[in-house]
Amino acid sequence: MAQVKRRRGTSLVPLPLANFRDMAANVLEMQKISKAFPGVQALDKVDFSCVAGEVHALVGENGAGKSTLMKILAGGYQQDQGKILLRGKEVSFASPKDAQRHGISTVYQEFNLIQDLNVAENIFLGHEPVKARGFLIDTRRLYQVAKELLRSLGTEIDTRAKVKNLSVAQQQMVEIAKALGLEASILIMDEPTAVVSGKELDALFRTIRSLRNDGKTIIYISHRIDEIFEIADRATVLKDGHLVGTITPKDVSKGDLVKMMVGRSLSEVFPSKELGQRKEILTLKNVCRGKILRNISFTVNTGEILGVTGLVGSGRTELARVIFGVDSLDGGEIYLDGKKRTKGTPEKSISGGIGFATEDRKKEGIFSCLSVRKNLTSLVLGKVRRWCFVKEGEEKKIAKESVKRFNIMTPHIEQEVQYLSGGNQQKVILAKWINADSKLIIMDEPTRGIDVGAKAEFYTVMRLLARQGKAILMISSELPEVIGMSDRILVMHDGQIMGELSPSEATEEFILMMATGQLRKNKAEGELCEF
Amino acid sequence: MSFSHLRQHWATLIVYGVLMTLILASSVASDVFPTSRNFNNLIRQAVALGIVSIGQTLVLLTAGIDLSVGSVISLTTCLTTGLIHGRGDLVLPVIALVIVAALFIGFCNGVLIVKTHVSPLIVTLAMMSVVQGAVFLYTKGPVGEVPQSFSFFAWGKFGFMPFPIFILATVAAAGIILQRQTTFGRSLFAIGGNEEVARRSGIRVDRIKVATYMICSFAAALTGIFLSSRMGQGDPLAGERYMIDSIVPALIGGTSLMGGKGGIVGTIAGISILTILSNILNLLNVETYWQWVMTGLIVIIAVACCGRVKT
Repeated sequence: MAQVKRRRGTSLVPLPLANFRDMAANVLEMQKISKAFPGVQALDKVDFSCVAGEVHALVGENGAGKSTLMKILAGGYQQDQGKILLRGKEVSFASPKDAQRHGISTVYQEFNLIQDLNVAENIFLGHEPVKARGFLIDTRRLYQVAKELLRSLGTEIDTRAKVKNLSVAQQQMVEIAKALGLEASILIMDEPTAVVSGKELDALFRTIRSLRNDGKTIIYISHRIDEIFEIADRATVLKDGHLVGTITPKDVSKGDLVKMMVGRSLSEVFPSKELGQRKEILTLKNVCRGKILRNISFTVNTGEILGVTGLVGSGRTELARVIFGVDSLDGGEIYLDGKKRTKGTPEKSISGGIGFATEDRKKEGIFSCLSVRKNLTSLVLGKVRRWCFVKEGEEKKIAKESVKRFNIMTPHIEQEVQYLSGGNQQKVILAKWINADSKLIIMDEPTRGIDVGAKAEFYTVMRLLARQGKAILMISSELPEVIGMSDRILVMHDGQIMGELSPSEATEEFILMMATGQLRKNKAEGELCEF
Repeated sequence: MSFSHLRQHWATLIVYGVLMTLILASSVASDVFPTSRNFNNLIRQAVALGIVSIGQTLVLLTAGIDLSVGSVISLTTCLTTGLIHGRGDLVLPVIALVIVAALFIGFCNGVLIVKTHVSPLIVTLAMMSVVQGAVFLYTKGPVGEVPQSFSFFAWGKFGFMPFPIFILATVAAAGIILQRQTTFGRSLFAIGGNEEVARRSGIRVDRIKVATYMICSFAAALTGIFLSSRMGQGDPLAGERYMIDSIVPALIGGTSLMGGKGGIVGTIAGISILTILSNILNLLNVETYWQWVMTGLIVIIAVACCGRVKT
């Protein structure tokens, strides 16, 4: 941590480019920015500055304050304290439009595009070229300029195609073109690689580099260490709303950066890997579904955590849906407890002992307006009912037991689940499945949107369940989590399983290469898999 | 425009195909249908519904809804005839006053919706009750009369063409240009498609919404003025059926209640289908209430098909 630059101007690190040292060249300076939300200090006197023609990564765990800082810069929030200097002049942005007018645009992770409008219409949304004294849209110029913009990004997307018909990577290009159409000099990119992979990733990085060479400033939000080392000129690390420091990736090791982000090493976050009683519970043989799942075969055992990872669109979630019986198979066989399953439905899966904690907790996981009690017993109403009446006493007993067993932090069991923290909501979901006697629990992105402390606790619960003989199929795109938690790791790419890794041989680079289809692990299979 | 672009308008093409089929079938089924006299009749029936539906379509595009149009129509018919009361010199000032009143109601709708974040359904339903109540306080039965000059709106002819067709054509053309060629129109689709994205793109969402409800009320007022010309008298319940009827053509034409999809071109087909259907059933001496049954079925079929085409 010695190499960390603690304060502006007092750099301990010899900076590679001369103008980094010259603070007058700062295009953007955010000084002592503070922002509080009810119950949480999201940012505490954070300094952040950029020069022209750099890719500046902003890194940190979930809840570190990256998004809040960038929302302040983009005019989405107002800071409580501190000031923003743009080219030396103090500015304050009342709205996103205001920030855009000053040349600051954001490429959001969840795209900022209207699905039913076409490419050109989206690029110029809110600032269309006009004619007839501003009354009518100049359609000819609209398409022409849109085409030029896309071409300058090195892509030839049809400007009249509706956005909903584009691939995710194409949508991202449209999103970037949209930001450039605003004549942005500072481009904020929020986790731009969350949705692209492989060749598309290369194209994205090429685009980012060429924008940088044109003198634009790119603020690159990410928590993927490897990427930061590949693309960023500098990186600023935030943790729990504080500035940890600004570094030059070239001069530090990956481990140092992780330490700065997490504040502790990974071994402290993940519980030790103890296995429970192992018995085959679920076997897939050559499972196919359209183009999204191709020839998937693997086995899940009780007492272990099987990690499944891959990029968005690789078929991870579809795999979970097929196992749970939401979607049907086109081919192949699924064996549950050694018995072949004919036609899967969620009802059958639940009674067969499969639980599914979905990726989108709020939408598919909980009844947010119902109490903790009602959520916890939602799958076992049959057990607590006499004729058609729910026996509340027994329900309360079950709920109280679950709250105690999983250490769910709630004032009382009648609290509505929506008021619980993300980590506790996730525990409620897990407890709900355990109450339903699930033997295999599928968890899709189990720790998304949960802060680090709660994550560690949740990991402990997961491991406890495995040790007690439950099987856990964990789908995750957080590579440290996959490596730290799984007993075996399956990597998916393009609907196929690219291979199985043991956590000891898995590295983030290795997994990413498999996930992007550059590497397949076939030959060593026999030696590494414990079947 | 290549074929793939045409395909994006598939739903609209289908609706127009249905309209053409209906016209052909009607011409075969009835000798009276293709006469110019019946054509005049059709136009006069289509105008009232047409104008208000076009206004309603714009609101629907923003993922809103305006249930107060019916009461605004009732209000405007009563005020127009009641205040003019047969005096030719009062026609223009009263029309102006009535339009201002309607714009004010639309303004209230819009401001309440954007400021209180209460759903448009509830705000405009409440507004309907308020306005309808006010109308009944003003008059409990048919009221007023109109001078000869005023009946020109509904009954006049321009050359051999009935004058109302020009009213409808003007409103439709203005609506289509507004929707397709202006930044305002583009914003309607953006807001209906994803309001948060629209806001982030620098669109002044609140202003546009208020303006849209004002335009919708304005359209309702035009319908009201037209109806008072056609009927020669104001009726406190003249607009009642338009609360729901104004939405139906938009739905048939492919506009989604969820916003962001569809548009006036489809609505015009919807209006034509409904008007012709009602006309031909009349000509064939089918009981009126069968129209209601058929209208309901058509809406369900149209919306279901629309969804099918999309996927």
